[in-house]
Amino acid sequence: MSIAASLRLPRLPLSRRERAGYAFVLPCVVFTTVFFLVPLAMTLWMSFNHWPLLGKPNFAGLANYLDLLHDESFWSALWFTTRYTLVVTPAIFLLAFILALLVHRAVRFVGIFRTAYFLPVVIGMTTASLLWWWMFNDQVGIFSAVLMDLGLIDEPVQWLGETNSALASIVVMVLWKAAGFTMVILLVGMQAIPQDLYEAARMDGARWLQQTRFITIPMMRRTFALALTMSVIGSYLAFEQFFVLTKGGPMNSTISVVHWIYRASFTYFKLGYGAAMSVVLLLILLVLSVVQMYLLRDESE
Amino acid sequence: MKHPIWLRSTLCGLGLAFASHAALADDISFWARAADAGFVEPLVKAWNAGHPNKVALTVIPNDDFVTKLGTSIAGGSPPDVVAIDLIFVPAFAEAGQLTEIGPEAKALPYYKSLSPSHLRLAESGGKQYAVPFSAEGSVLLYNKKLFKQAGLDPEKPPQTLAEIEAAAKKITALGKGVKGFSFSGACGGCNIFTLTPYIWAAGGDVLTADGKKETLDNPALRNVLGTYRRMWEGGYMPSSSKTDNGANFINTFLTGKVGMVGSGAFAIGLLKKDHPEIEFGLTYLPGSQVGQWSSFAGGDSIAIPAGSKRKKDAWEFIAWSLSEEVQVEQFAKNGSIPVREDLANNAYSKLDNRYVIASNAMAKGKTPYSTHFNQLFNDPNGPWLAMLQEAIFGKGVDPAIKDAQQRFRKVLSQ
Repeated sequence: MSIAASLRLPRLPLSRRERAGYAFVLPCVVFTTVFFLVPLAMTLWMSFNHWPLLGKPNFAGLANYLDLLHDESFWSALWFTTRYTLVVTPAIFLLAFILALLVHRAVRFVGIFRTAYFLPVVIGMTTASLLWWWMFNDQVGIFSAVLMDLGLIDEPVQWLGETNSALASIVVMVLWKAAGFTMVILLVGMQAIPQDLYEAARMDGARWLQQTRFITIPMMRRTFALALTMSVIGSYLAFEQFFVLTKGGPMNSTISVVHWIYRASFTYFKLGYGAAMSVVLLLILLVLSVVQMYLLRDESE
Repeated sequence: MKHPIWLRSTLCGLGLAFASHAALADDISFWARAADAGFVEPLVKAWNAGHPNKVALTVIPNDDFVTKLGTSIAGGSPPDVVAIDLIFVPAFAEAGQLTEIGPEAKALPYYKSLSPSHLRLAESGGKQYAVPFSAEGSVLLYNKKLFKQAGLDPEKPPQTLAEIEAAAKKITALGKGVKGFSFSGACGGCNIFTLTPYIWAAGGDVLTADGKKETLDNPALRNVLGTYRRMWEGGYMPSSSKTDNGANFINTFLTGKVGMVGSGAFAIGLLKKDHPEIEFGLTYLPGSQVGQWSSFAGGDSIAIPAGSKRKKDAWEFIAWSLSEEVQVEQFAKNGSIPVREDLANNAYSKLDNRYVIASNAMAKGKTPYSTHFNQLFNDPNGPWLAMLQEAIFGKGVDPAIKDAQQRFRKVLSQ
């Protein structure tokens, strides 16, 4: 008997092996069906109906989608969310990449820093927003207090109350909140790069910057794609931070798409219209993700 | 069943998450908004001390009240009793989400003396869906000490909007951070309460009487917004006036550094109890000529949501809340206005002339009617607040009104 033969799987009847296979994927299938496919199908169905929160739904065909075409507020919310994403995604990515480079090497106490950078991710977005709401507060917040103690400002700043500073304040908070997560993704990618590449580079006299430029970055293309895609999706779905910190203000300058969906559904009680917006947002995200994956694909494959 | 089970259970979950200290199954569940906590909490305590059927109170943040009540009803787990801002009653009644209580209400011996604005808004299709619970009228508060310092007569409060502006200028001139006038510029609900009365007093309005059309293009509204804008640009208001979302609705006045602020009768009790150092007066919100004034006749109505399984017990609690024992010994004693006209002159109101002004303001005030009230006026991203902000802090009165007309029409056409 050869070694190969002894390692071969026992010959089960095919149908039994199949059944075992199904049993293994079943929990996942059930989970996905109940928590993703069914709600998705229902959302689709709702989007073709006038569906008031209180009262009876009735079929509306494409009416919700046609309304959406003429709903300036939706498109301006979408445009705002796009701008927010364009600011926040590169900022998170850059900060996370720097952090990952800093905590990449196994030096003393590196665990403490990794933990510290990752900790904000563990806090829920709503809790984090409330925390920052207090810090931004003009009466009791720490930012205004410190700046006043330093003599840089004379009276408290309305961080969240002025159009210019409201978005900037939220971006700062989100950086603090989300950079740690992207850092971990990038760190995993960095750790996966074979060490001998660096050794060879060092033998050729490559400095740290050159190693980063010619080894780390090219080898991490797929990790970058993952990190960027997740970050873009996360930014497009932003809601809690705006809902808690600015409620869309000042002067409606910080209304994100999901906030607008929430508003249509639970202020206007128009669930069908909210569903139609959700479907459009889903399609937009799908297209964006495909484009990103394509642009950042690994050409060697 | 109106909604599929998955939607109902999701909404139900949402509702439960909001009402975190969920009531015991055999308690009568009662929801009220945060603004009422001050008088509702002692009320429930008094009921529970003397009745075998306990009431479990859940206090809901003001801004979220309509959303949470709506989702709880749609989710099939509404509270048994709800005290709801009277202006939202038409929307819920029209959608068939409240239990009819007309026969019970009309059997009350004092039915005829219940607040008429509350009753008007609680009627839909000839049926009665709610009764008054608490009353509130908007008035102008002024700081007598600052009036004296600024050389104004503290016993002669402003009688026109122009006089308010002139007084605000003089008070601001005192310097040292003192400001003449303050309002919550990022709060729609606060301003339907304290800003529209100036418009009504001068003969203007924001909606037609049936609530179906906007009437924003009128000289009275223009004048009020223009006056506010001048007061903001002139520096007569603190910077928080632009950004306050209602959290500091009354607080700026409590610092003693603000001359005048539009507020409600609730402020009387609060000021007397917590800020005896502030010498304040009360007057009506005036129009453009002497003798004109108006008020937002507001407050809460109390109702039984459709789907409540405790209708009989719920009504017993409601009837008790309207009794003389509660209206006088709970409400009037703690500084609010009774919802029964036959109890307006009670032992407590006689002690302070300021209550008489507040009661008058309430009794002769106006309550706008609209089934779109939340979307138009209370929504922080709605057309009313956008108009105020653009008119007072932004691009100006005329373009703001023009934009708002379009947006009002859009909401009203739905």
